[in-house]
Amino acid sequence: MAESGLPADAHRRPAGPHPLPADPHALPPPGEWFAPDAERHLLDRPRFCPMCGASLDGGLVSESWAADQRIFLTWCAGCSWLGDVVRYDEVSIDEPEH
Amino acid sequence: MLTVEQNEELTRVGAGTPMGNLLRRYWYPIAFEQDFDARPSKTVRLLGEDWTLYKTPSGRYGIIAERCPHRRASLSYGVVHEDGIRCGYHGWRFALDGRCLEQPAESDNSNFRDRVRAKAGRAQPLGGMVWVYVGPDPAPELPRFDVYVLDGIRDIGYTTLPCNWLQIMENSVDPHHVEWLHGYYFEFLGQIGGFEAPKSFQKKHVRVAFDEFEYGIIKRRMLEGNSDENDDWKIGHPLVFPYGMRVGGQWVDQMQIRVPLDDTHTWKLFYTLHHPEGGRWEHQDRPVAYEFPWRHQDGALITDYVEGQDIMAWVSQGEIVDRSTEHLGRSDAGVAMLRKMFKENMRIVEAGGDPLGTVRTPHEIIELPCEKDKFGAGAAFADQWIKGGSMRYAPIKDELLALHKDAAAARARTAASG
Repeated sequence: MAESGLPADAHRRPAGPHPLPADPHALPPPGEWFAPDAERHLLDRPRFCPMCGASLDGGLVSESWAADQRIFLTWCAGCSWLGDVVRYDEVSIDEPEH
Repeated sequence: MLTVEQNEELTRVGAGTPMGNLLRRYWYPIAFEQDFDARPSKTVRLLGEDWTLYKTPSGRYGIIAERCPHRRASLSYGVVHEDGIRCGYHGWRFALDGRCLEQPAESDNSNFRDRVRAKAGRAQPLGGMVWVYVGPDPAPELPRFDVYVLDGIRDIGYTTLPCNWLQIMENSVDPHHVEWLHGYYFEFLGQIGGFEAPKSFQKKHVRVAFDEFEYGIIKRRMLEGNSDENDDWKIGHPLVFPYGMRVGGQWVDQMQIRVPLDDTHTWKLFYTLHHPEGGRWEHQDRPVAYEFPWRHQDGALITDYVEGQDIMAWVSQGEIVDRSTEHLGRSDAGVAMLRKMFKENMRIVEAGGDPLGTVRTPHEIIELPCEKDKFGAGAAFADQWIKGGSMRYAPIKDELLALHKDAAAARARTAASG
């Protein structure tokens, strides 16, 4: 299994005499520079609006990074909510001077 | 990063695509008035389609799909009449709105011509350029943005770039690139090339912000040593949705125009108005238009001027940048915001509404917010921009430099006497 939990050959197509056209949505091959992030982006992004609960399929989820933080700028086409959804592996807080 | 599917949706501009439907709701400059001095018609490409743009004897402009509906010959080689254009091949005549008026070889009682209509749009001049609208009726008003209508000396540098227009637009909501591409990188080139790079662009960004407004996104930056009272933050300058950016300083006011010719080609124009306070100039009938170079003869990109550096970034990203393999950071919030704005307005158009920036009310001028004191550089900014940007290729470069220099001296005299 790949680190992502997907089978290592998940991106490959069965060999045959009549190969299908290239799948534009196929993930990059495992081991390529970007593959783990690409997989996680597709798998981890929010699917439903945090405000109204509608599917985000018609909206836009744009991932960016800040150090270890993964931030999904999320726009819902249903209710127009725009905001960040931040994925945490660990919640840590910097205490201000006091 | 985006999915491949999202990237496709945001970058394909042809007829029937979601982005193509959105972009067809706006007017575009596609030629200069002087293009019609020698011949009254020419072929232009816009949004993945070829068009014939023509000027009638009385000075009206028309735009019609290039291929004649009869046997598909080019109407750009047609005969221009006062009320439209006639195909040179068999004489079919079309009105400005695309109706077929005549089919000379067909019998007079034929209603064949009523069943033929060419795709046609609207065209009109503004600011020395010919603008076209090829979307559905009712056509919106052509926005008369300030730089196109104010008095001054105007110069237009233009070129065609082999890349999608969106990657150029994303550059307009990416303030940080200035201090690196036009600051640090320019300085590096100066050091190895033996020239002095302009210093205005080297200041460090402390804070950036993006605000949506009725014509797009206002971009603000606070540079090291400046405060929120500086023009760069207090006023900023706008990305003009969906294909422009208004920028300027020291009475050098510019609209950067990115016309999507098709998915992989963009007509890039720097439309610049010079109108310095204290300056004097003679009335100019037409802007000075010139094609500026961005490649050396060996094919390498010319990077020792500001816009050449931008072009290096846009063109080297590829014809259509693969956004499924990018890594955005927090400083790219403006880029994500722009993508959201496109997506949002695609949906508005699908629902039958007017997208952002549609103007329905006749007007004289639309003034856009734009900083005057750019980068806190004072009067030096105009000089550095003209010498270090694409304006260095302007046939009137020396006149422009003199205009700003004399105006600055006049302002200084006024200040000293006051």
